[in-house]
Amino acid sequence: MAVKRNTRVIVGAVATLLILVPLAVMWLSSLAPASYSVMGMGRAELGGGPADAVHAGHDDHGWDGPPPGAADVSVAELTGPAGGEPDVAVQLVARTEQVQLAGTRDESIPAYTLNGATPGPVIHAIQGDLIQVTLTNESVPDGATLHWHGVDVPNAEDGVAGVTQDAVPVGGSHTYRFVAEDAGTYWYHSHQVSHEQVRRGLFGVLVVAPSGGIAADHDVVATFHTYGSTATLNGAAGEHRHVAGPGESVRVRVVNTDNGVLRAWVAGAPFRVVAVDGREVNEPAPVTDAAVVVAAGGRADVEFTVPADGSAARVGVGAAELVIGPAGAQGPASTPPTEVLDLLHYGSPADLGFDLARPDRDFDYRIGRRPGFVDGRPGMFWTINGRMYPDVPMFVVSEGDLVRMTIENSNSDNHPMHLHGHHAVVLARNGVRATGSPLWVDSLEVDRGESYEIAFIADNPGIWMDHCHDLEHAVDGLVAHLAYTGVHTPFRIGGPPSNEPE
Amino acid sequence: MRKTYRVLGLLIALAVVVQASAIAFGTFGFINEVDRGTVFTPSSDAPNFGPMLHAINGTLVIPVLSLALLIVSFFAKVPRGIRWALLVLLAVIVQINLGFFSFDTPAIGLLHGANAFAVLGLALTAARAAAREAPVPAAAAVEEAIV
Repeated sequence: MAVKRNTRVIVGAVATLLILVPLAVMWLSSLAPASYSVMGMGRAELGGGPADAVHAGHDDHGWDGPPPGAADVSVAELTGPAGGEPDVAVQLVARTEQVQLAGTRDESIPAYTLNGATPGPVIHAIQGDLIQVTLTNESVPDGATLHWHGVDVPNAEDGVAGVTQDAVPVGGSHTYRFVAEDAGTYWYHSHQVSHEQVRRGLFGVLVVAPSGGIAADHDVVATFHTYGSTATLNGAAGEHRHVAGPGESVRVRVVNTDNGVLRAWVAGAPFRVVAVDGREVNEPAPVTDAAVVVAAGGRADVEFTVPADGSAARVGVGAAELVIGPAGAQGPASTPPTEVLDLLHYGSPADLGFDLARPDRDFDYRIGRRPGFVDGRPGMFWTINGRMYPDVPMFVVSEGDLVRMTIENSNSDNHPMHLHGHHAVVLARNGVRATGSPLWVDSLEVDRGESYEIAFIADNPGIWMDHCHDLEHAVDGLVAHLAYTGVHTPFRIGGPPSNEPE
Repeated sequence: MRKTYRVLGLLIALAVVVQASAIAFGTFGFINEVDRGTVFTPSSDAPNFGPMLHAINGTLVIPVLSLALLIVSFFAKVPRGIRWALLVLLAVIVQINLGFFSFDTPAIGLLHGANAFAVLGLALTAARAAAREAPVPAAAAVEEAIV
């Protein structure tokens, strides 16, 4: 009897260990140290290109990453122009304060403001301008940075806490200087605790006009953001109007600052999508009953002409509306179109400027999902190429490389994928090749079950984040990095500045 | 150990009730807001704590309780105790999977709703199995009677 009982206890204990030990191991291996370098994270993927001494030894060096090679350039040196008077100089002061959203009678909400407002001020520049922005952190307790979303800036100006700079502490400031080389619609936002700071309003828009001037009679910025449960356009709820005369041309710059996708359309006048993510569309055709899908973080510029008969056009931007026409004119009643414009077959093809037959690097970015732990927290988390954060890929490229990447989403949520510092052209979706105007993006919506083939030139040396811009996913580990050979970052995640980019 | 097994079974059953309550609270919250003209976007906050409670209770609390029930079942002298604990755990795993698939295919939510009753029933059955002492083996009982 006693023997049988002891056997039972032993078997029970073994079974218990078989359950608890793997869980404990998974939990332990998910913990990140208080301070580490992104160069030490995960695994280096070479994409079929040549190995270099630093990244080939990546996996052996633990959380501090490999030591810099003798000839390596520090990220801190990859700055914008050091000298020269700026053409556009802006001072931005970041504050934590209660904000009463215009157009609502709700109580004020806790928010982050730039120069007392959210969204922050629209920064206007002309192509070729040297832009200088000084960020002062007056009262954002976690620290703050500014990332220039969609602007292919030099790496040190990218504003990613722990990768390209330390977060600006309360009382501190940081100056960004870069040349606005490409005209288009962009936005800027904090990249320190970004999932919380962007949601609470630490962002604004940057408009770079072409050197020849803006062609349309009216140029309107339509920034969509959800504060709490209030949908707003340019920080205000309710109906928005912009007065324009019959026959006048209007360009509306739609900016999606939320975590989810939004649809934009125009009712009452045919419209054209003239730019996506700051890049012009080649020969866009008029659209009448379809909406354009704007990924989280993405921008779409639409153009239309105010109807000659004196009525107004109604521009739908996500859950908000903008009526554009003569004062007092009503726009048509409008329900969101069910049809969606397929940007891969819109506009006319044009030469890409490179031959895709032989890319220098070929990467996979396969997004999956499974139960596990991220930094000690249990849940259902994202995996990239089969592995969970922090074991994420470091995509290694060399300057001048032609890079092809296949992004696959095999799980139950959509992912707006954002690559810093570069624009990529979309070659195919689900194996069907693009036939329209070359679609150059920095924020690509990858829906459930979809796969995209993209290509870009590695022409901007640095360490760049390549992550999902649903920031709730990013903070759960859906991030990877693009690392150039010959570049080393002295900055660390965590540490005394408490760098926490997501 | 037997009492612990019973308590865990009852706690799991209670947690299932909490799940139903929380999601009803959340759903009525959404309907109430929409009726008042609130527009929801993918980034909107939930109308109340119901959905968050449902998520945390469902993906964290109930699985932990189910694992605890299984581990306790190894040591508790409950008739078919391990079997019921395994069934509870299986039903919970199925339930969590159904939940995640429902976001994409809402019709699967029908199964998610129905399976909740399976989890509840199994948890109550497990608790009931632990309500009485395990029967002493016949030979030992006769031995004791003779002595």
